[in-house]
Amino acid sequence: MSAAVLSVRDLHIGFGGVKVLEGIDLEVRRGEIRGLIGPNGAGKTTLLNVICGIHRPQQGDIVLNGTSVVGRKPSAIARLGLGRTFQTSQLFRGMTVLENMMTGLHRQTHTGLISAGLDLKRRRREEAQMEKAALDALAFVGMSEFADRPATALSFGQQRVVEIARTLIGEPAVVLMDEPAVGLSANRLTELDALLRRIRDQKGVTLILIEHVIRLVMDVCDQVTVLSSGRCIADGPPEAVRNDRNVIEAYLGKELRARHQAS
Amino acid sequence: MTPFSRRNVLLALLAAAILLPPFANVYQLFVANLIVIYVLLAIGLNILVGYAGQLAFANAAMFGIGAYATGLLQVQLGWSFWAAFPCGALIAAVVGLALSLPALRLSGLYLALSTLAFAQATQWVFLHWESVTFGAGGFKTPPLSFAPLPVDKPLGLYYLSLALAVALFLFAHNLVASRVGRAFVAVRDGEVAAESLGVDLLRTKALAFGISGFYAGVAGGLYSAMLNFVAPEGFDLFQMVLHKAMIVVGGLGSVVGSVLGAGVIIVLLEVLRAFKGLQEIVFGALLVVFVLFMRGGLIAVIKRHVRGWEEPLRLVQPPPTRPEAAPAQAQAPASVAER
Amino acid sequence: MLLFSYLLMSGVTTGALYALVALGFVVVNKATGIINFAQGEFFMFAGFVAWMLHVQMGVNYALTFALAVGCGFLLGCLTERIAFRPLAKSDIVSLVLATVGIAFVLRGLARLIWGGKADYLSFPPLTSPDPIMVGNIMVIPQQLAVLAGTVVIMAVFTVFFRRTRAGKMMQATADNAKAALLVGIRTDRIYTLSFGTGAAIAAAAAVLTAPLTLLYPDIGFAFFLKGFAAAVLGGLTSLPGAVLGGLLVGVAESMAGGYIHSSVMELSPFVVIMIVLVLKPSGLLGGRAMRRV
Repeated sequence: MSAAVLSVRDLHIGFGGVKVLEGIDLEVRRGEIRGLIGPNGAGKTTLLNVICGIHRPQQGDIVLNGTSVVGRKPSAIARLGLGRTFQTSQLFRGMTVLENMMTGLHRQTHTGLISAGLDLKRRRREEAQMEKAALDALAFVGMSEFADRPATALSFGQQRVVEIARTLIGEPAVVLMDEPAVGLSANRLTELDALLRRIRDQKGVTLILIEHVIRLVMDVCDQVTVLSSGRCIADGPPEAVRNDRNVIEAYLGKELRARHQAS
Repeated sequence: MTPFSRRNVLLALLAAAILLPPFANVYQLFVANLIVIYVLLAIGLNILVGYAGQLAFANAAMFGIGAYATGLLQVQLGWSFWAAFPCGALIAAVVGLALSLPALRLSGLYLALSTLAFAQATQWVFLHWESVTFGAGGFKTPPLSFAPLPVDKPLGLYYLSLALAVALFLFAHNLVASRVGRAFVAVRDGEVAAESLGVDLLRTKALAFGISGFYAGVAGGLYSAMLNFVAPEGFDLFQMVLHKAMIVVGGLGSVVGSVLGAGVIIVLLEVLRAFKGLQEIVFGALLVVFVLFMRGGLIAVIKRHVRGWEEPLRLVQPPPTRPEAAPAQAQAPASVAER
Repeated sequence: MLLFSYLLMSGVTTGALYALVALGFVVVNKATGIINFAQGEFFMFAGFVAWMLHVQMGVNYALTFALAVGCGFLLGCLTERIAFRPLAKSDIVSLVLATVGIAFVLRGLARLIWGGKADYLSFPPLTSPDPIMVGNIMVIPQQLAVLAGTVVIMAVFTVFFRRTRAGKMMQATADNAKAALLVGIRTDRIYTLSFGTGAAIAAAAAVLTAPLTLLYPDIGFAFFLKGFAAAVLGGLTSLPGAVLGGLLVGVAESMAGGYIHSSVMELSPFVVIMIVLVLKPSGLLGGRAMRRV
């Protein structure tokens, strides 16, 4: 089989009689950065939600690293190697940046009720390891100096970066990102671009990004999938997709497409 | 130098508590014991409501279950206190665990109301299952003896309560600064994100509910021994408000805050003992005022003004002897860091 | 058969009261997305105020009714200003605890003003206490008065929500607060109005109930739970649901009390709440899930 780390096959989902996704097929190769774009209401966030287990599809299969994940709990799917970032900051407000990072290591660590409560050596050892790993991960994204600051003290862009780091520290195989670039200034965008490349190159993590900032998608994605009204209407390298007439029509409507062709 | 650090203040309080009995009269010892019992209860409740963010109103019920179980195992089945007490606590813990199941499907308001309804149902059982619980009049428990130790009951029970409170305080203190504690806060602050990091919601919530049930059960068992009497009115709606007031006034999400809150509220309770109506007004008003203006409770005020009261959610290793270990002077490689 | 019809009548009457309390819940919940834990205490407090006016001060019934309802309305508005508005953007824990605090302040006040824990105040009935025969069933006229009063109040509110501008604004805010703001509706006033209205309904229920039962400070919580059970059974966002829920809870309670044992009656709200929340949280007629502002 291909080196697909995530496959979605013939996915259908609807809510209360309204079909949101129909017949979605997706194959994402290991180490790829895949862009997921489309007009509002196309179903992109729903697709992410189905993949990570928040919703259950009516039909279809999702295979992560060779294991089918349809119907499993989100925490179970996370433990199989799936990470996720969200549109709005989901850093844990009651923790510092470092504590947030250490929480990212939850699924690889084992300290439980008894070893924690009784302060056994096992716990101390694991805490020290977690702290070190968290500091290293913060250094990778250049946020070391914020380790002991409360998560709420960071700016929006900084929180975004820490959230990405928190997802990465668990060493997932695939990370789903929901509009990582939203609200970022031009400078931050460039940094995000570089960060995403570093993640792919140095960590070998596969990324799937929902994005509206087309510039970022064109620059950093290896392949782009376009959704519109719940269906996949294009799938290919960024340049090809950009000029695909179905895509232009989906975004701009038939009339403008005609004008675009004429010019 | 942090002379008024949390550690020092708590040690001083502990010393005072240990040395108290020769200087206190019967009533004062009673109040002190009551405070210790409620400290236990408040710590457990704070873990559930303050750390894990579960708005549950069943704590008074579990306090009652602990007291009733401990008492009834002695009275109905002839067990000794030393066997009945741990069992009573475990029963309360199990009931707490059972409550975590609805907590999965319900959250926020729905959880609050269903646990409130559960608490009412528990009261109903205490009142009406007369063949077992002796109904509204309650029942007396057999006198407790600390033989072969040469201590009388009030003294012995006081030290037993104190020892348990210290042990369970330390347990909680360790627990919150660990992977488990962080999982609680993650569930509170962002359930969906927590799940995406692999935190199992059911296990985490069950743990929080079970722990608060256990602590409440221990407190209940001690309470039944202290009064030598168990009756439904000790575990009613007013108790529920009392418990909530303790953790709100002390500080939600703080183990030390629970200690403070329990102390303050019990002292107030005793001062206002003559006027039940006034008690209700005062505690109700305290809840409103603190929630509106002092959300972090007393502990937040202390943290702002006195050094050494931080309660990190991780194990902070003692700093190395060289001073440059302080604020990270690591070079930030990219400019991502600045604001 | 006689027992059944008696129980049914009794159940419908108390059910009508629960329906009113439930209506109060739904009105507030529709607009703000929260449950006011002080709702039962509004009921209790208004009942005491009515007692004070009618029994102690000799004010006539109609005026008492109006004043008590007005008092309820004020209490509701106050609660909104104190507990809801400053905390609307906060987490649910704070909101709930604040309304719980207010509930206890009211309870303590009532106890201080009107009597201790063991004092039960009685309210003279409006109508003659002699039962009359309706077909085969023996009915106390006060029960009929309660039913009639409940029907009238529900009709008034249906008209209010469907016909008046204020009512429509409340519906709009409940549906989509942001959109309502955009079209110029003063949503903060709507919230105050909702709380006030919810409390006013509870007050009306109290004045209607007062002749049928004894008043005591702890009555608030009992009605809170029952009213909530009725509201959640009917669906927390449905006004007709509140009515249906109230009637069902009242009848079920009455039947259980008559056929099983009277002590079971107090257990009914718990059973209803747990069954509904576990099986179908949206209730019988409720639509969307509860939404917060």
